[in-house]
Amino acid sequence: MISTDLNIILPETVLAVYAMLALVGAVYTGKDKLAPALVWATSGLFLALAFWIGTTGEGTRIAFGGMFVDDGFARFAKVVILLSAAAVLVMSEAYMERRGILRFEYPLLIALSAVGMMMMVSAGDLMALYMGLELQSLALYVVASLRRDSAKSTEAGLKYFVLGALSSGLLLYGASLTYGYAGTTLFSGIIQTATEGQMSIGLLIGLVLLISGLAFKVSAVPFHMWTPDVYEGSPTPVTAFFATAPKVAAMGLFARVMHDAFGNATADWGQVVALLSLLSMFLGAVAAIGQRDIKRLMAYSSIAHMGYALMGLASGTLLGVQAMLIYMAIYVTMNVGTFAFILSMSRDGQPVTDIRALGMYSRREPGKALAMLVLLFSLAGVPPLVGFFGKFYVLRAAYEAGLAWLAIAGVVASVIGAFYYLRIVFYMYFGEEREDRLDAGRSPVLWGFLMGSALIMVVGVVNLFGIEGAAQAAAATLVN
Amino acid sequence: MSLFLIVALPFFGALLPGLMNSAGRSACAGVTFTVSLAAFVGLLTNLPSVLSGDVVMARVDWMPALGLNFTLMLDGLGFFFALLILGIGLLIIAYARHYLSRDDNMGEFFTYLLLFQGAMVGIVLSDNILLLLIFWELTSLSSFLLIGYWKHLPEGRQGARMALVVTGTGGLAMIGGMLILGQIVGSYDLSVILANRDLIQADPLYVPALILILLGCFTKSAQFPFHFWLPHAMAAPTPVSAYLHSATMVKAGLFLMARMWPVLSGTPEWFMIVTTAGLVTMVLAAVIALFKHDLKALLAFSTVSHLGLITMLLGTGTAFGAMAAMFHILNHATFKAALFMSAGIVDHEAHTRDIRRLGGLRTLMPVTFVIVTLAALSMAGIPLLNGFLSKEMMLEEATHTTLFGMPWLVPALATFGSLFSAAYCFRLIGHVFLGPVRNDYPAKPHDPGAGLWLPPAILVVFVVGIGIAPFLAEPFVKLVTASVLGGEAEVPKAYFKIWHGLVPALFMSIAAVVGGLLLMAVYNPALRLWDAAPRPEAKVIFEAIVEAVARLARRLILPLHNGAFTRYAVIGAIAIVAAGLHAWISGTAAAPTRTMQPATPIAIAGWLMLVGATCGLVLMHRDRLLSLILIGIVGLMVSIGFAFFSAPDLAMTQFTVEVVTIILLLLALNFLPKRTPVESSVLRRVRDAGVAIAGGLATFTLAYHYLLRDAIGTPISEFHLANSYKGGGGTNVVNVILVDFRGFDTYGEIIVLGIAALLIYALTETLLRGPVRARLLNRKPDQPRAGDMHPMMMVVLTRVVMPVVLMVGFYIFLRGHNEPGGGFIAGLIVSIAVVMQYMASGFAWTSARLKYPYHGVIGAGVLIAGLTGIGSWFVGKPFLTSDFTYVRIPPFQEFELATAALFDLGVFLSVVGAVMLSLESFSRLARRADETDSEYPMDIDPSRDNPPPDAVQPARESV
Repeated sequence: MISTDLNIILPETVLAVYAMLALVGAVYTGKDKLAPALVWATSGLFLALAFWIGTTGEGTRIAFGGMFVDDGFARFAKVVILLSAAAVLVMSEAYMERRGILRFEYPLLIALSAVGMMMMVSAGDLMALYMGLELQSLALYVVASLRRDSAKSTEAGLKYFVLGALSSGLLLYGASLTYGYAGTTLFSGIIQTATEGQMSIGLLIGLVLLISGLAFKVSAVPFHMWTPDVYEGSPTPVTAFFATAPKVAAMGLFARVMHDAFGNATADWGQVVALLSLLSMFLGAVAAIGQRDIKRLMAYSSIAHMGYALMGLASGTLLGVQAMLIYMAIYVTMNVGTFAFILSMSRDGQPVTDIRALGMYSRREPGKALAMLVLLFSLAGVPPLVGFFGKFYVLRAAYEAGLAWLAIAGVVASVIGAFYYLRIVFYMYFGEEREDRLDAGRSPVLWGFLMGSALIMVVGVVNLFGIEGAAQAAAATLVN
Repeated sequence: MSLFLIVALPFFGALLPGLMNSAGRSACAGVTFTVSLAAFVGLLTNLPSVLSGDVVMARVDWMPALGLNFTLMLDGLGFFFALLILGIGLLIIAYARHYLSRDDNMGEFFTYLLLFQGAMVGIVLSDNILLLLIFWELTSLSSFLLIGYWKHLPEGRQGARMALVVTGTGGLAMIGGMLILGQIVGSYDLSVILANRDLIQADPLYVPALILILLGCFTKSAQFPFHFWLPHAMAAPTPVSAYLHSATMVKAGLFLMARMWPVLSGTPEWFMIVTTAGLVTMVLAAVIALFKHDLKALLAFSTVSHLGLITMLLGTGTAFGAMAAMFHILNHATFKAALFMSAGIVDHEAHTRDIRRLGGLRTLMPVTFVIVTLAALSMAGIPLLNGFLSKEMMLEEATHTTLFGMPWLVPALATFGSLFSAAYCFRLIGHVFLGPVRNDYPAKPHDPGAGLWLPPAILVVFVVGIGIAPFLAEPFVKLVTASVLGGEAEVPKAYFKIWHGLVPALFMSIAAVVGGLLLMAVYNPALRLWDAAPRPEAKVIFEAIVEAVARLARRLILPLHNGAFTRYAVIGAIAIVAAGLHAWISGTAAAPTRTMQPATPIAIAGWLMLVGATCGLVLMHRDRLLSLILIGIVGLMVSIGFAFFSAPDLAMTQFTVEVVTIILLLLALNFLPKRTPVESSVLRRVRDAGVAIAGGLATFTLAYHYLLRDAIGTPISEFHLANSYKGGGGTNVVNVILVDFRGFDTYGEIIVLGIAALLIYALTETLLRGPVRARLLNRKPDQPRAGDMHPMMMVVLTRVVMPVVLMVGFYIFLRGHNEPGGGFIAGLIVSIAVVMQYMASGFAWTSARLKYPYHGVIGAGVLIAGLTGIGSWFVGKPFLTSDFTYVRIPPFQEFELATAALFDLGVFLSVVGAVMLSLESFSRLARRADETDSEYPMDIDPSRDNPPPDAVQPARESV
């Protein structure tokens, strides 16, 4: 009984125990001197766990009376989460070391938030959901304000915390209403009460509040307000992390709640999610046009991308979830590469985030500029790069689910959004040559991630590395 | 050769020029040429099967789930375009080898060129529309790189960006159109789509699909109103202009229109949109071209004009029109590429392309002169050259076309356009080559080597050849036309002849040529007229639009994301209320299952107090002390509210927590000014009030709704009510839940509480050791302090009351298991008793009399609770299993002893310790430098009214 349960959550347990042991161990020994080693150890562990989860899991296993679900969907999301977290951790090491903010808590907080994210995508119960969400969020609040001597970073952390707490409150309110009107917190129980057309107001309002709370976490409009400020204020590696793994986890959780708990009332939440998607796509596209700060720009970009991922979810079909998973995997890969580039942007050792500083970058660093060009085109969704296929999948899912208006709006938004990606390309290739040029930036790790990510965007068009099949299998375990 | 190989060769070959770059320019061009030649030969190997009318297919599944298959198809139309792309490509490569200077990076150029070539071949051979889209976008990207090849020229950069934005946007629109088309038919394979004409044209989504696809075609083929990018793209090196902007890329739009002709054409929408756009483009561009002084700009606008002509022909929707269009594509590709290359030669040799600085080159560059003259006359529509033939067919078609119900409109405009077309051709010959030799050329012009003039010369051979012997081209053009028509219409019987007899088209042609000559005669006055006329400048407009969009975005977003927290909260609140409202409206409300409780006067009075205090708090919150008192009233009323709803435990807890919180806030007020400054305008406060009221109303409605209805399932309280006495040995369910049912939770919570208190302690310690300490010590209160820091009344009262309060705490603790009360409440009550001593008698006095450190108290509490839990292991039960028994110790009556009480003691101690530790930590911050905290409980500061110049020790009195 209990040993079976524990066996199912073994990967999470291993990571959690590692984080706690390392925390205690580091406090009593080298403290920050151990930080680089811990970064590598943590990302190594992430990789090992991703490999473990990716290769061994079979079928659907349920632990703790339905609180925890280990199925194909969860495993897919976990592998993406762990891989992206490992990538971002490794990328951040040199950057943070150089700026003296590499504390030993950093990799361990990331590890703890990873545990939370793994819980989130495996949650089979409102309580497990909340637990995972909070574990993740609390760790993230701290890392957002990691640069304590910077007013912006502290402000970012505080804003994130207050708004995050607000969203948690909403989520809890929604969860308690749902419990009150479904009589259970188990998703498998809620789905029996929540059927199409017979939802009571209480359950509906619970659903709406749950969606609002989750929308905060995926930063969907109109609950996105924290994103630009937090992205701008946090240290860049942390921003990179925010833009990748937690987004996957939140989207995964979103999909799980919607399908596992409210799968019989697709139309009820589909319209709300569709609206969120529409607003996110447009705001993300329009808002970034006036931005000169690349981190803020990426914040709006991530809002827009979440809009597209939500479009897949809004369709409420198997193809929709599959499209969402593919979209998220592609999105994360692109973002890792893009942030590897942003991390390498510095002048005289100081980080630079103004895109105008990239003037004629292609002349000095043709290789990196080309890789970035590929990534930006991919982010914009220009065929034939991989980013296009992600967009194409969600558009098709929406269209086939009868949301043609949403698909058309998505195309329009992506046209608008292409503008600002192209502007970065414009600066890099044709901008004004600047006197104060950026540093050469010879970090092999960042270079490797940038090139690797760009290469994936090009080579991936062959068969998307077979991710479609995996995503389809994963989606099939969720939608039935 | 396999179709895959034909498409793949340029892509793989694109790797070679870069590698060969160091091997020299000839090697670089040679390898590119070889790659293209291989593809060209490969294409020709398929000629026999195409000629026999077969369609060559090749298929590989790529992403079947998406309907995206790598399917290639070679029919007459595809073969025709592929032949143009690869054939002219070979000439361009040879030409570019000699055109590019030593400073240009040739490897880069040929890499881009081959990428482009591959993408173009991909477009024309695709059988899958998604695949076609991918190649379509690839041409946009590679042409972006090619146009901006000369990065040092700002015009090149801007031109490249404009071209990419316009064609890229069109491409995205086309994706939408293609998706709709695929959805209608249920397949993305062209061969399937082309067979479903009726299905598509009957679909309600036909018009949106048509418009979206045409947007893609028009942007790519530079049709009005998207024609403006092409002239700006002329900043590219001439080989690029000759290749992309005359022969291939701009024809991709035409190709697609031809490809889709069987399913999309023939409807009134198609006719109206395509014919009108084509006609307008043709006339407008011809007029503009005449007045351009840049040789390439003239040719660029003439290209736009001719593309318009072909578009118009496709728009008519007749088989004859389609045949004329195909024929003109062939003819235009030959003479226009030749003209572009010649313009490049002139630029190369004379170092200028400005027509006003040229003239008289006839004798200096005889070879070029012959080439240009033949090609330009063909473009003007002079007999015995190929341009005449297709132009004649166009005019013939125009006479049969009725637009807007006016039969004369199309022929008249077509003649008008041809007139200008003839005029600029004559100007090209006349102003560049004829006239006197000048002596102020920027460089001395002379004919170039054969490497430069041979490629255009080869094209001119075709121009003359087809012009003299049109029957040579006839079978091929008819073959292509047949595959355009795709069985939807019969290939027209008309023969290609130079002399058709005295038909209207001939008169129109003669009128155009004569008119063109006349226009040349009055060119200078016409030019002055043109220069004086105001006209919109596309580039300025384009940039203004881009700038305006950016400005609009900023104006939209900056107010929305100004960093202010209140704004974020407002947006969030409104969104949530709106979402809730939506759920409220769309959901079904069950009928109330409970009846309203009668409102007693006391309850009404209580609620009125609550509402009054809340309103007062909002209105008077600037006075902080007053607002604290009002908060106290609110808290009190809420506590009473709990009692009113039959939750005495909750009420007691709430009540004690209220007291502790108020004390905490009082301590905090110590550091703050007494009043809150006004920071927001009245309007903003009204807005905020509106949002707050909306939120309040929403919450009220929800609460009202729920209070009148029973929960859907059995409440969990039933279980606890049933099992509380049986399993936990207590009748106070809340307490039994805390110490028994959820004992483990409580255990965790007291640990967390302890950690929180320790953290507060640690933080204040750090603060007091850091730079904050100096500021804290030297801060000045904003108003004089009260004279008696420890008022006697209060001191006396608290001391008298203390034993009583402690006794009450003890009592509450003991009765907790069966009556409202318990360790948590008791802990708070005892804490209040001690805190009162701190407040009344001062920090130093009180702490000197406290024997036990608070850390220890917390630790003891957690330990006791933990040991109680462990105790159950010894009797073989799980952690924290409680047990109880009844004992009788005389002289008392029988009473109950429960292990839960021991656990409750742990809770009690932790709460006391945690509350006291945190309050003590805060109060330590309050101490200041200029006053030593008195050891005595009561003291009066006589200096209060007349502060002495130097610090005076306060007078002391002891009790």
